[in-house]
Amino acid sequence: MPCPKTPHLLQEYFSDELAPRTRDELEKHLSECPHCNAELEALLLAQQNLQQWQDQQVPHWDRGLALFRQEHRVSRPTTGFWNLWQWLPSAASLVMLCVLIFNLSIVSGEQGISISFAGSQSSSLDVQTQLADFRQSQNAAMQALVLRMEDRADSNNVELMQAVLEQTQQSTAESFDQIYAYFEQQRLLDLQDMRSGYEQLVDSDYETIRSLRQLVTFVGYQDDIR
Amino acid sequence: MSLIDEDQALIAAALNGSAYAWEKLVKRYEGKIYNHGLRLTGNTSDAMDLMQEVFLGVYRNLHRFRGDAKFSSWIFRIAHNKAVDMNRRRRLMSIQASPSNQDGDDGLDSFPAEVRYEPDVKLGEQQLNGRVLKMLSELTLEQRAIVELKIFQSLTFEEIAELQELSANTAKTRFYSALKKLKVVSEKKHALS
Repeated sequence: MPCPKTPHLLQEYFSDELAPRTRDELEKHLSECPHCNAELEALLLAQQNLQQWQDQQVPHWDRGLALFRQEHRVSRPTTGFWNLWQWLPSAASLVMLCVLIFNLSIVSGEQGISISFAGSQSSSLDVQTQLADFRQSQNAAMQALVLRMEDRADSNNVELMQAVLEQTQQSTAESFDQIYAYFEQQRLLDLQDMRSGYEQLVDSDYETIRSLRQLVTFVGYQDDIR
Repeated sequence: MSLIDEDQALIAAALNGSAYAWEKLVKRYEGKIYNHGLRLTGNTSDAMDLMQEVFLGVYRNLHRFRGDAKFSSWIFRIAHNKAVDMNRRRRLMSIQASPSNQDGDDGLDSFPAEVRYEPDVKLGEQQLNGRVLKMLSELTLEQRAIVELKIFQSLTFEEIAELQELSANTAKTRFYSALKKLKVVSEKKHALS
């Protein structure tokens, strides 16, 4: 026999959030009522069957990119703007070239700003005076610089000479010491040579004396025989 | 960065004219929308048409997306509206009379649900999905839309109600009646097999 509570209870069963008390009541009824329990199982089975769906891959399509690119390219005014700015370096170069070719001079004074081509007489005189002053000041500065350089070079030379002299003195003293040592050594060697020469001489004298003695002895013996 | 933040970043970039961001945004949702359309319409060509209309709608209204709701909810709202429009157009073009209207009239109840698969779809998947589509074809499109959002998109009844502009209780009742109908289909199938 169908249960009158089934539709309401099962509708509640699929709610997102159930109050704990409602859940307890629902579970109690489901455990007691075979009709509601069977109905719920059938519903869950149907849900489970639906969930067997396997996601399909999307067929190839352009994802609206053609439309997107087309509309964004048309609606963007930036291209014209940037084209305008691209001419800026060329225009600046042209202006600079004109200034150089026509020797343009712009002077701002009390009477306002004056623009003149190929320069002006008064301004060239001013420039010449300023140049002469500048040259004089540069010459004076150069002279002072040369003097300072000479002083510095002299002092450097003196220091250098002193250093060289000191070094030479030291080396000369060392050389004298070496010569003295050499002579001393030579003298000692000569003394040794002389001593050995004398000894040899004495030895040879002794030898002569002995041979003379032998001769004498031999002569005496010959005389005895006769 | 969370998925919602990533969506926001992609939307901002797409609004600034980045085709790459737009493509990425579409790629994130096209699978969901296509399968959603497939389950609603029952065939691939209608699913493609619906998906293209949905993304065209998204593109046209992207500047209106405020970010106070989830992008996925917003896109499914558009999908729902497009499905209703599509169904209405077909009904106007069709000479056939619409079937009986049980749960009110929002133009969803006569949506066709033919099971028509391309030959390159894998056999196992084809059989499983064919069964699911057969079950769904027993429902009105209105019920199908609620089952779709509840079971496949895991939305709450509050979210479904907001999206379809009805009360949460009505959404709950429709879901229950849809499940009851599906239960009968399942039982019939078991009885036949």
